[in-house]
Amino acid sequence: MSGWSAVLAIARKDLRTELRTKESINASASFALVILVLFSFAFDLGRPELLEIAGGLLWLVYSFAGALIVNRSFARELPNDCLDVLIASPAPGWAIFLGKAVSCFLLLMAVELISLPVFGIFYNVHWAGAFFSLLLVIGLATWGITVVGAAFSAVTVNVRLRELMLPVLLYPILIPLLSAAMELTTALVNGEGLGGDNGAGVRLLVGFDVIFTSLAIYLVEFILVV
Amino acid sequence: MDLRNFTFLVYGYSAAMLVIFGYVTLLVLRSRRIDRELTRLKSLVEDKN
Amino acid sequence: MRDKVILSLAALGTLLMVWNFNTIFLHLPDEAQQGAIYRIIFIHVPAAIGAYTFYSVAVLSSVMFLVKKNFKYDSLAVACVEVGQVFTLVNLVTGSIWGRIIWGIWWTWDMRLTTQLICFLLYLGYLLLRPSVTEPTQRATMSAILAIFAFADIPIVVMAIRLKNVRTQHPQPVLETGGLDPSFWPPLLISFIAVLLIGCALVMLRLHQETSRREIDYLRREVHAL
Repeated sequence: MSGWSAVLAIARKDLRTELRTKESINASASFALVILVLFSFAFDLGRPELLEIAGGLLWLVYSFAGALIVNRSFARELPNDCLDVLIASPAPGWAIFLGKAVSCFLLLMAVELISLPVFGIFYNVHWAGAFFSLLLVIGLATWGITVVGAAFSAVTVNVRLRELMLPVLLYPILIPLLSAAMELTTALVNGEGLGGDNGAGVRLLVGFDVIFTSLAIYLVEFILVV
Repeated sequence: MDLRNFTFLVYGYSAAMLVIFGYVTLLVLRSRRIDRELTRLKSLVEDKN
Repeated sequence: MRDKVILSLAALGTLLMVWNFNTIFLHLPDEAQQGAIYRIIFIHVPAAIGAYTFYSVAVLSSVMFLVKKNFKYDSLAVACVEVGQVFTLVNLVTGSIWGRIIWGIWWTWDMRLTTQLICFLLYLGYLLLRPSVTEPTQRATMSAILAIFAFADIPIVVMAIRLKNVRTQHPQPVLETGGLDPSFWPPLLISFIAVLLIGCALVMLRLHQETSRREIDYLRREVHAL
């Protein structure tokens, strides 16, 4: 079995399981919506001030939702020793990891694209004009969240208090990615483009994705084999 | 201003020393706990043998 | 023999530091703009550099563990991370106290302070993960992977914060640009050597504790077997 066909097979398996049970996508999307509502009670701002913090709010919501999704990623393989079976299979370790990262990515993108219009309506933020640039930023940052999240999901799968440890480990690593994504999103909803200073932010997102994808693919063998 | 300046300097160095000595104390207490446990286990093994 | 080395290192480091206090407090003049509080640089900067030195040793040790699977490297890594955390805390606390006088505030989100705080959080996650994993090989592998991820994140954090449009309030680098008065260099270097010596003594003590812990695990298994 080649690596890439294993990636596709595992991604398809996870997506099929998720679409049939809808356990994490429902929880994650509902959680995102609840947080959006809560934030509206936290802040009572006029539109100009709100546009300043729009990116920050949105990515806080996305990162909380993302933690829920990646947490389930390897944890769902624990019952009936499915994880051991996966590791024992001919599929290479990096393929198992990438398959799970791809399925998490697609699920998190779905949750984000559901939350985005709700965010726009609740906070009166017009994002439609910058949709494709926003999609690029969301895509790049989401890949960063899912690749690091899936790696840490594998690390914490056998740890006590897994649901608590994963966010504690994940968020500090994601700070630069989230910071850049927040800055870029705020700039985009305020009508700026992706050129100039913002180009550096996009490069940072790409750099983060490349570095941590390579690191995760290389190190996942050590995580899974132990 | 000068006195407040100097006072905070003393606070700064005191805080630094407190942190380091706090950690040293933690290490010493942990060492004692480990030594006690080691002695207990060694005597248990000897008894069982 | 080991105890003698630890005591010697600690004694030498402490003596150097005490002797240095004499120079710092009694022989150096007050600084023109900052007054007496500038003297905090002689513990603030060596603590930061010492912390990064120990974190670097920790990550090298983690890589060696993944390659050689020898637990001595894991013990060295956790010892260096703990001591690095102590010095990072010293750096943050002394910096905060300095900032209270010079800037009037205990904290600001400028580049260096934020990087240090994120560093602290990253390695705090490392120290929190270890007790959660009971199996020694798994614990060592997970910790090694986390240390590598954390270390890879630090340059990206620096870049991300640089991108943010925050007017930096932290003093510009004086060590690299030669803005430091020549008379300040000897006490600074001596302080750094003292920090390294004390740090090495603490690392050796912590290393010994890890070795003892492994012996305790082995004896527990033996008692259980008998």
